[in-house]
Amino acid sequence: MASSIRDELLKVLIEHQPHFLSGEEISRRVGCSRAAIWKHIEELRHEGYEIEAKPRNGYRLVYRPDRVAPEELAPHLQTKRFGRHIRYEYSTPSTQTLAHQWAREGAPEGAVVIAEEQVQGKGRMGRTWHSPPQTGVWMSLILRPPISLAEASQLTLLASVGVQQGIKRVTGLPIQIKWPNDLLIHGKKVCGILTELRGEQDQIHYMIIGIGINVNTTSEHWPEELKKIATSLAIESGGHLHRATLIAAILKELEEVYQEYLNSGFRVIKSKWEQAAGMLGKTITARTPQGLITGVAERLNESGALLIRTDQGVIPVYSADIDWKEI
Amino acid sequence: MAFKMHEIRELIRLIDESQIEEFKIDNEGAKLVIKKATGRATLVTPAPETAPAAALTPAPAAEPVKPAAPAPQAAPQEAKAEAPAQDAALDETLHKIVSPMVGTFYRAPAPDADPYVKEGDRVDEKTVVCIVEAMKLMNEIEAEVRGTIVKVLVENGQLVEYGQPLFLVKTD
Repeated sequence: MASSIRDELLKVLIEHQPHFLSGEEISRRVGCSRAAIWKHIEELRHEGYEIEAKPRNGYRLVYRPDRVAPEELAPHLQTKRFGRHIRYEYSTPSTQTLAHQWAREGAPEGAVVIAEEQVQGKGRMGRTWHSPPQTGVWMSLILRPPISLAEASQLTLLASVGVQQGIKRVTGLPIQIKWPNDLLIHGKKVCGILTELRGEQDQIHYMIIGIGINVNTTSEHWPEELKKIATSLAIESGGHLHRATLIAAILKELEEVYQEYLNSGFRVIKSKWEQAAGMLGKTITARTPQGLITGVAERLNESGALLIRTDQGVIPVYSADIDWKEI
Repeated sequence: MAFKMHEIRELIRLIDESQIEEFKIDNEGAKLVIKKATGRATLVTPAPETAPAAALTPAPAAEPVKPAAPAPQAAPQEAKAEAPAQDAALDETLHKIVSPMVGTFYRAPAPDADPYVKEGDRVDEKTVVCIVEAMKLMNEIEAEVRGTIVKVLVENGQLVEYGQPLFLVKTD
């Protein structure tokens, strides 16, 4: 890896922040010459890092730009596989598109595509996702689960549980899941998840879980029609969030729930999902491609479909947009 | 190829959750019949050329015996539209692309986009023919055979069942 010296250097600097570390000590820890260290420090400064140099004291990190590059994530990652291979772009049409390419080229499970900005962020059925630069988390996780195609939709619910737990751990915000996997705070959307799958009848080649989170977005970033239905973690918490920390927390939670799922199946995920869902027990309307269904949201079935109690009995809903009013 | 244990478990679960009362599938000679009333699953190997393997096609007439009166419930033009589709569905030489899961069938990547394939289109193994969506999982279905699309069996936006035929393909 070409950038490993720089990653290591940054890691050492972050670990010692706000203290100084001598050039010799740094070169010993990173395992390269002091000249090489100088060069990499220059490069980091170029990317917006402020590194103070003081004779006899050495170097210290003063300011880190808010980036979600691999070297910024590395010090925070606590996962075994998720996020251990990262493809990072400042700007890309869509992290989903890149992830598809990478998966076809053989990306390992847990590989992640991350961008600071998406110019054609993908939503469901050709819809767009508004992803202004450096304000959110726009990433796509590649999975190769050893499960049947019919079970694969369970992973979209699993993803919402993992992301919900990660965000909650970092921010403490009251974040709820709307079926199947939107995340809402006070009824407004803060995160969307789009899962795409390539496979054959009896085998999944790969799945891509696309996650878009409005983190430091402020309402002036949005067109008028989005302001009523969207929110961000910064708006809700009243403060700026460090995105790399958030990503690391989300990847850790995702890896844990995924491992739990592979070990013991959907049951545990299902109950976690039901605990985090805001709509159970409420009267909702499901807008399905086959028409409207109104009734009380009861629970999930074993595939992750939403069971709605109506006058005609309990109906499993597989595809729908859900509306409900908080009373 | 016979059925794998996890596939059978999966099928039982899916049918249990659905409103399907009876389910038959013919997988390259191995037949599986699941009936809800008795809750029994039976696995039968190579069947003599009797029952067609058209699992889940809209109510095929059980016996080829002609009733004296015209079909009672279906409107005439609807029946006419069904007839060729069924003939084609019963044509054993055509390959069926079936849905791998319960979900909504989409012919195009977006509402205003062109369909992935139309009748008469050439496809190969890797051609994406449609999307089946459930729980916001977009499953791009590949043809898995080389040939020509003869018939699209379901409507855009229709809910499809596990194993339901979606396309008929005349293979090369």
